[in-house]
Amino acid sequence: MVIDDSRAMRLILRRIVTQLGFEVHEAGNGREALDLLESMSEPPQVALIDWNMPEMNGLEFVSAVRSQERFRQITLMMVTTESEHGQIVRALAAGAHEYVIKPFTPDAITEKLALLGLVPSGTLS
Amino acid sequence: MALTQQEFAFVSGLVRREAAIVLETGKEYLVEARLLPLARRTGTPSVSEFVARAQRERALADQIVDALTTNETSWLRDREPFSAFTDIVLPGLMEQRTPMQKLRVWSAACSSGQEPYGLAMLLEETLKSSRQYEILATDISAEMLERAKNGRYSQLEVNRGLPVPMLVKYFQRAGTEWQVNDALRRNITFQKVNLAAPLPPVQPFDVVFLRNVLIYFDLETKRSVLRRIRSLMRPDGWLFLGAAETTIGIDDGFERVVAGRASAYRPRAATTAPVGAMRKG
Amino acid sequence: MTSPTTDDLQAITEQVWLSYLDPEGINPFLPSEEAPGMPCVIAAVSVTGAWEGHVVMSFSEPASKLAASALMGMEDEEVTRDDIADAVGELVNVIGGNVKSLLPDGSLLSLPHVATIDEGVNKWPAAVEVCHLRGSWQNEPIAISVWTSKSTG
Ligand SMILES: C[S@@+](CC[C@H](N)C(=O)[O-])C[C@H]1O[C@@H](n2cnc3c(N)ncnc32)[C@H](O)[C@@H]1O
Repeated sequence: MVIDDSRAMRLILRRIVTQLGFEVHEAGNGREALDLLESMSEPPQVALIDWNMPEMNGLEFVSAVRSQERFRQITLMMVTTESEHGQIVRALAAGAHEYVIKPFTPDAITEKLALLGLVPSGTLS
Repeated sequence: MALTQQEFAFVSGLVRREAAIVLETGKEYLVEARLLPLARRTGTPSVSEFVARAQRERALADQIVDALTTNETSWLRDREPFSAFTDIVLPGLMEQRTPMQKLRVWSAACSSGQEPYGLAMLLEETLKSSRQYEILATDISAEMLERAKNGRYSQLEVNRGLPVPMLVKYFQRAGTEWQVNDALRRNITFQKVNLAAPLPPVQPFDVVFLRNVLIYFDLETKRSVLRRIRSLMRPDGWLFLGAAETTIGIDDGFERVVAGRASAYRPRAATTAPVGAMRKG
Repeated sequence: MTSPTTDDLQAITEQVWLSYLDPEGINPFLPSEEAPGMPCVIAAVSVTGAWEGHVVMSFSEPASKLAASALMGMEDEEVTRDDIADAVGELVNVIGGNVKSLLPDGSLLSLPHVATIDEGVNKWPAAVEVCHLRGSWQNEPIAISVWTSKSTG
């Protein structure tokens, strides 16, 4: 699942993970993403989450997901321009598993997913 | 303007002598693309003239060698060898060595430093100060070694295969970049070493990472590099190569072993004694 | 904490271009102090809290279109006004976030605003410029500037 308020950014991320064989669902903010999660029969393996978004931001989304047992399996990866040391620590404390700072190259996303064991590292160039 | 045959021959001879790197004919475009920024930086009007100057000026020749070696690297993006290192190699060594013995690790083509710092992080996390370690980080490129010593990485670089818990634990922001903490730097020594020439005398190593550099050498150089490295390894030491590299068919003094999901290589005599989680591969 | 400088903007801009607008390194952003022509599309994010101010990007109309098509990997003709607003908004968000990381901790980043020039001029009458980076991309002008509305000391 790709959660970002920018359509352009969702498109970039969608292209990268589609190539890795993922099926992609998109949401424009945390609230939409929670609604989407509710409607899915099977939760996604991984969510790529922007931080600054209208209505519900990425950090609030991470906390909301972490508070629910049935979403335990979802790997949460922040993909955001927030890049202070302290902000990254906050996101990890809230329950994010990984963090990619914008701007990123496509390899960065692939390599982080490989670190998380979500794509075989044979995929790496 | 295209390079003449003589100019190309000078450049390929130079990198062959200095770094044992083979540039076949047909790679003229690569040479031009890599040397153009150097020509610009030194205010030389063309690549040809830059090559001409380099035949007289040693410093420029060094820059050519630097520019034609590939420095592409990242942190721990290939999970397998690094998990083998923490899950199999280190526990084994901790049993076999006395607690007073320092573990010695060599990052033999360290590029801009991601590999040795990554290894230092894994050693910190796994050994938890239960014993000391030292890392020797070497490369042929003075420019890369300088970057490695500085330990400053751009945002784009820290995004590449560095687990974020390691980023927050071992780095600080420094302007638009990230700076490695002293805790990691303190056990690493950086040194300029040409693997294709006789190696400096050093204490033997427990583990050697020689990743993604053999690929640039011809067979004869690969063989001599492997032989020299073997002579600097403990008899029960471990060698890790890049995913596209092997000792098989090159140096019989090594035996390939399967370590977890990775391949590793060990001096042959060492593999006669059975070792816990290790199978022959 | 020191203020962001033109060098910082340049480092950030280089990374943004390498990541999104010029991954092959063929069409880099070329800084130049030449006065840009009349900008047409302006994208801005505000920083509030410990430091207050704005990060502003201005584009000529063709530059904004090029940016959108490069970011989204689309043909120029396919790009709509909405695409442009979304794309330049995301660019200024990324640059703004990186600028914010140079500022005192505890500052907040707003969502991006995008305007065309007729509404956009001098939106922040009380602000003073901290630094700027001007240049061209594929021969079209782009400028990035940082403004503060609170004297820092
Ligand atoms: C592709 S990088 C590999 C970096 C790292 N080991 C990794 O796997 O990510 C290759 C490095 O080998 C270095 N190198 C090339 N020829 C060498 C030589 N003859 N002796 C020592 N280092 C050499 C280059 O300078 C470069 O930094």
